Amino acid sequence: MSERRRQPWWVGLAVILAGAVCLYASSSLDISAQYAAIGPGFFVTAVGVGLVVLGVLLLVQMARGTAFDPELERDPGMDKPAFFAVVVAALLPALVIETVGLPITAALSFTLVSRAFGSLRIWTNLLIGFILGTAAWFLFSWLGLQLGTFLPLAGL
Amino acid sequence: MDTLSLLLHGFQVALQPVNLMWALVGSLLGTAIGVLPGIGPALTIALLLPVTVSVGPVSAFIMFAGILYGAMYGGSTTAILINTPGEAGSMMTALEGNRMARAGRGAAALATAAIGSFVAGTLATMALTFAAPAVAELAFILTPADYFALTVMAFTSVSVVMGSSRVRGFISLFLGLALGVVGIDAMTGQARMTFSIPDLLDGIELTVVLVSVFAVGEIIYVASRNRYYQEEITPIRGKAFMTADEWRRSWKPWLRGAVIGFPMGAIPGGGSELPTMLSYTLEKHLSRHKDEFGKGAIEGVAGPEAANNAAAAGVLVPLLTLGLPTSATAAILLVAFQNYGLQPGPFLFTSNPELVWGLIASLYVGNCMLLVLNLPLVGLWVRLLYIPKPQLYAGILVFAMIGIWGVSGSTFDLALMAGLGLVSYAMRVYGIPIAPMLIGLILVPLAETQLRTALAAGEGRFQVLFESPIALAFYIVAVLFLIVPWIMARLQSAAESRPSTG
Repeated sequence: MSERRRQPWWVGLAVILAGAVCLYASSSLDISAQYAAIGPGFFVTAVGVGLVVLGVLLLVQMARGTAFDPELERDPGMDKPAFFAVVVAALLPALVIETVGLPITAALSFTLVSRAFGSLRIWTNLLIGFILGTAAWFLFSWLGLQLGTFLPLAGL
Repeated sequence: MDTLSLLLHGFQVALQPVNLMWALVGSLLGTAIGVLPGIGPALTIALLLPVTVSVGPVSAFIMFAGILYGAMYGGSTTAILINTPGEAGSMMTALEGNRMARAGRGAAALATAAIGSFVAGTLATMALTFAAPAVAELAFILTPADYFALTVMAFTSVSVVMGSSRVRGFISLFLGLALGVVGIDAMTGQARMTFSIPDLLDGIELTVVLVSVFAVGEIIYVASRNRYYQEEITPIRGKAFMTADEWRRSWKPWLRGAVIGFPMGAIPGGGSELPTMLSYTLEKHLSRHKDEFGKGAIEGVAGPEAANNAAAAGVLVPLLTLGLPTSATAAILLVAFQNYGLQPGPFLFTSNPELVWGLIASLYVGNCMLLVLNLPLVGLWVRLLYIPKPQLYAGILVFAMIGIWGVSGSTFDLALMAGLGLVSYAMRVYGIPIAPMLIGLILVPLAETQLRTALAAGEGRFQVLFESPIALAFYIVAVLFLIVPWIMARLQSAAESRPSTG
């Protein structure tokens, strides 16, 4: 084990960035308002300042070499293909659901996640995902909710 | 009307056949999701929120209550049989319970967990019955300044208690606050943090955040670490029931667990982790079989399981009386109330007695159902553990997507799901707790409205925030939450360094 483990500096920087985004957004809002002492920008500014300060504190902690987390000590590292397969499965619905409809989207996402967990039965998984999506579509429309067009490609 | 007659009226509501059916559905569903690793009660209720469109509030909350309690029962089964605590509250159960299962006393461990959950759940529900109306009365005297102080206390305690470091707890809280201010400001009508995206004008739905962090984030995390973990299911062995000696060793921990769990669940930030750990430590201290701890002591299952269930009931006190959620599950229940246009708080007891008392009565009913469902049928539930992991997690992701698509029908929210899923994956990897973010997100409108109302009433003087003794007390507790762990750490390190230097 190396004396100084590589620290995930980017986490601290990301927190500071999130704070900066809040501060940028608050620049167009009133901090002290016409009404009472504080306006719509007060909370946004306060949150932005808070995030920047916390991000800096986190960086300081890391620089002092504070063990980042006990969980990280046990962390064996990540399985990259599985990670990306699930991320794609999570992103897919936003991109394709309006074009291909719920059942096909469900089939694709289901298959990707099960592949990430090591299942090789692609066709079975496609079928299970499709059935889940179809069943949910009919259940929801029975409950009076719309889950988009069923199969837009077939014009259904 | 006094509490008892109100409760009786609640039973009339809860025992209607249709509501009994919903309680059964909730209990079954709750136990199932409790048993399945990877999904908790908060996520399940979030995914079921669409039913609020077509089911009446009384029935829906009776079902949600069944899920809340059922998940506690089911969680212990998983903890005992595969040593994977599904949630933080089952950690201690896994410690002793799994050892018992391996030593061939699995049946006794499951029985003491189920009966302990029943005893503590019933006692805590009784405490809720009598405490809630009293707290609701007190809540009438809270001014906006007091309410703001209360939210500050909730924010601080949740951030400090959940997770391993205060900085990371607060990072989570502030991320939640940032997400919570997105949308049109209720007081001035100005769009905040929307970056000209029309989908953001209505704000970010807690449902979307909750599903993203608990389903998507969790699946990404488990998938990326899956290769390295092997789970083995210990088959249930041992006599179907507890021996006389095991009863004798269990009943006191059950009662003590209930006494610890209920108040700690009611305190903001108490959660389920702390009371179970406290109960475990206490039982270890009091036990005449100290040597058995770590090797399968029945007290170590009985106490924490009881504390866990009592805490789940305790969480309902601040939620119902003050509208203050103190756990992720409570936060999603608050959203369910809001979906019906109801605001939990002191007025709910007078405006919707049928709902409040029907809900409380259904907790008694659900607890009895769960005992029946769990003691003899535990073998059936165990089968759920044999669902292959790939299809289980794939199914969870598909339901998460359907849940969001069903609530909002917007592809923007689906994209948000993927984005927030990635953020929460990073939070898991780097030990940033999730709960403070959810509490921040759900409470920021309340905090902001009360602060601005208080300041408007005080004509803009900031001193008005500190003038009431109640508010001052809340601030003092908040400061204590901040500094006590720091002082304790200092004292501890001082005590440790003395022998080495001297």
